[in-house]
Amino acid sequence: MNGTTRRRLLLATGGAVLTAPAIAQSGGELKIGGIGSLSGGGTAWGLALQRGVTLLVDEINAQGGLKVGSRTHRLRFVMLDDQYTAAGGRTAAERLINLEKVHFVIGPIGSPAVLGAISATTPAKVICLHQGFASAILKNDAGAPYNFRIICSTVEFGPAMVDWLHTNLPQVKKVALVAPNDATGQFVVPTLASAYKAKGMGTWTEMFDRGLQEFTPLLTRMMAQGVDLLDLNSNSPGDSVLLVKQARQIGFRGTIWQVGGPAVEEIRVNAGPLAEGFMSWEVFDFTSPAGQAFATAYRARWPGIVNAHAPVWYNAAEMLFEAIRRAGTASDTDQVRAALEGLDGYETKLFGRVAWGGMANYGVRHQLALPFWIAEIKGGEAGIRTMIRPAVP
Amino acid sequence: MLTPAIIGQILVNGASLSAIYVLIALGFTLLFGIMRVVNFAHGAFAMLGGYALYYLYGSLGLPYVLAVPAAAGIVAAAGLALEVLVFRWFYNRLMPGMIGSLGVNLALVFSAVLIWDVYERSIPPAFVDIVRLGGVLLPLDRLVVTGIAAFVLLLFWLLMTRTRQGLAMRAAAQDVEIAEAQGIDTIRIYRLAFFIAVFMAALAGGLYAQTYSLSPFMGERPLLVAFIVVILGGMGSIPGAALGGIILGFVESILSTLYGAATSSFVSFGAVILLLVLRPWGLLGTPDTMRA
Repeated sequence: MNGTTRRRLLLATGGAVLTAPAIAQSGGELKIGGIGSLSGGGTAWGLALQRGVTLLVDEINAQGGLKVGSRTHRLRFVMLDDQYTAAGGRTAAERLINLEKVHFVIGPIGSPAVLGAISATTPAKVICLHQGFASAILKNDAGAPYNFRIICSTVEFGPAMVDWLHTNLPQVKKVALVAPNDATGQFVVPTLASAYKAKGMGTWTEMFDRGLQEFTPLLTRMMAQGVDLLDLNSNSPGDSVLLVKQARQIGFRGTIWQVGGPAVEEIRVNAGPLAEGFMSWEVFDFTSPAGQAFATAYRARWPGIVNAHAPVWYNAAEMLFEAIRRAGTASDTDQVRAALEGLDGYETKLFGRVAWGGMANYGVRHQLALPFWIAEIKGGEAGIRTMIRPAVP
Repeated sequence: MLTPAIIGQILVNGASLSAIYVLIALGFTLLFGIMRVVNFAHGAFAMLGGYALYYLYGSLGLPYVLAVPAAAGIVAAAGLALEVLVFRWFYNRLMPGMIGSLGVNLALVFSAVLIWDVYERSIPPAFVDIVRLGGVLLPLDRLVVTGIAAFVLLLFWLLMTRTRQGLAMRAAAQDVEIAEAQGIDTIRIYRLAFFIAVFMAALAGGLYAQTYSLSPFMGERPLLVAFIVVILGGMGSIPGAALGGIILGFVESILSTLYGAATSSFVSFGAVILLLVLRPWGLLGTPDTMRA
């Protein structure tokens, strides 16, 4: 990270979110819980969460802490592994609530883990900012009072991507949807199948148990169906890499893309030349000035791949801290929730102005309306093909 | 649906899967066959083999033919320290051995997390070409793994049946006291068997990590596969490990292609449960091994 970029990022944080005057009273430590997959195929996503939030927490602490009312809190981020499972999500949430005494949880990612986590956070009135795509997470009897989805789900970006595909690749007539047989896959596959069918495309679906690594028999079966396109949808980065490699190795020549994920960098690096032509939903544009500054700050701490979810989690944490600051309390979650819901139009550093939606689909305005991009690997490099701002009624 | 090309692809996939499964199971069955240790750290040794190959081939750029055995050799040599510190105390003690090796597994996996982080890595492929035979596609890297598996299996069989060390291992496996009375240095023989078993696990792990992906948790699947293959073939039986690997590989390939992955898992595990009920010593095992 060069000096100018670092200064800009730090100044932006200090200016927009918090400033800690020297005379502010110390409010002690404020713990923020984190839940994500730190083992197994979803590890890249868990690390993205951990590192995205850690970047912001460290920036704020370097500025003196988070100013809430007359007090300034030093932030501490406590991250636990959910092993990408519902049980893991629930256990991690209970531990954060009962042992660490947190009032705010960032994560998890993936419907099973989120469903597990919110079963503990909702009764405890703990605010949970997550990436669980199953509709039931927001649309439920409790009205999702304390949980917020901080990225568009398949309901929002799926039809928009299929629409783009239909316009730009009209030769695609039949699509294969290969997905994990869990809450994520069971929700995502019918949603996408409906979107493809609405555009006149046929679908073939296959579900597999998580942990499978040898996909060649499944992909041979897929090729026998005469599909033109393989959609990796909700597969984890690890599984997506294997699916791309093995599909190409057994001679699949159709388009491979992912209406979900994303794991563009992981696929580009780990599948090598076999990743050529791969397209994907992308949640952040690293080629923008803000994106480049973020990537530089990230790489100064952690070498290697920057998963695109890292800036999304950074953005969620920024919104949470702004809500805590506006609410003037770090313990009354009802007040913080109201402040969070009132962040429409707030100018974030990485995504610009943000807005909530979701009333039409879920009956609650807890769905963050972020734009998305379609990325493509060409000549061994990942680039952005287009940006789409989906409707989030 | 079943065109000749698809049938050919099913057979190629089956052969390739079988090769990986046989490689994974050999070290596991050897340790049980000779020392009666159910090695829960087998997957962890495979994982270490993956990291060793990652550095020797992926980072240092050693020629592939050298890097593969060298990576396995380094892990096996380092594993001898664990033989002295841990495994030696559990030979011929089935239950304590399981718990001890489970502890070793956890220690190795989470040491790897601390050293290498949990991120998945990729070992660069040594062969990227795809051979086309009629309508059937054969990825060259899979062909190489199949060749290595066949070669290693042959070496293994020769070692066990045609060398004095192999004879000594079999004698120690049958009756350790009588073997010692005949002048066999069982401590040395056990150490040799342990070295070979870890070498095999690390060799399989290197090839497995290159075929799929590398992470501290990558050993879970190979351990599961080793269990299924060895239970199918018979605990401690080397021909059984080969047979079990071939059966599992082809069954998975055929059923997954024709009926889907869920059916394949259901039938594979169902067959293992059935076998455990009807013939718990496996297809080529003997009832003696179960009593032991």
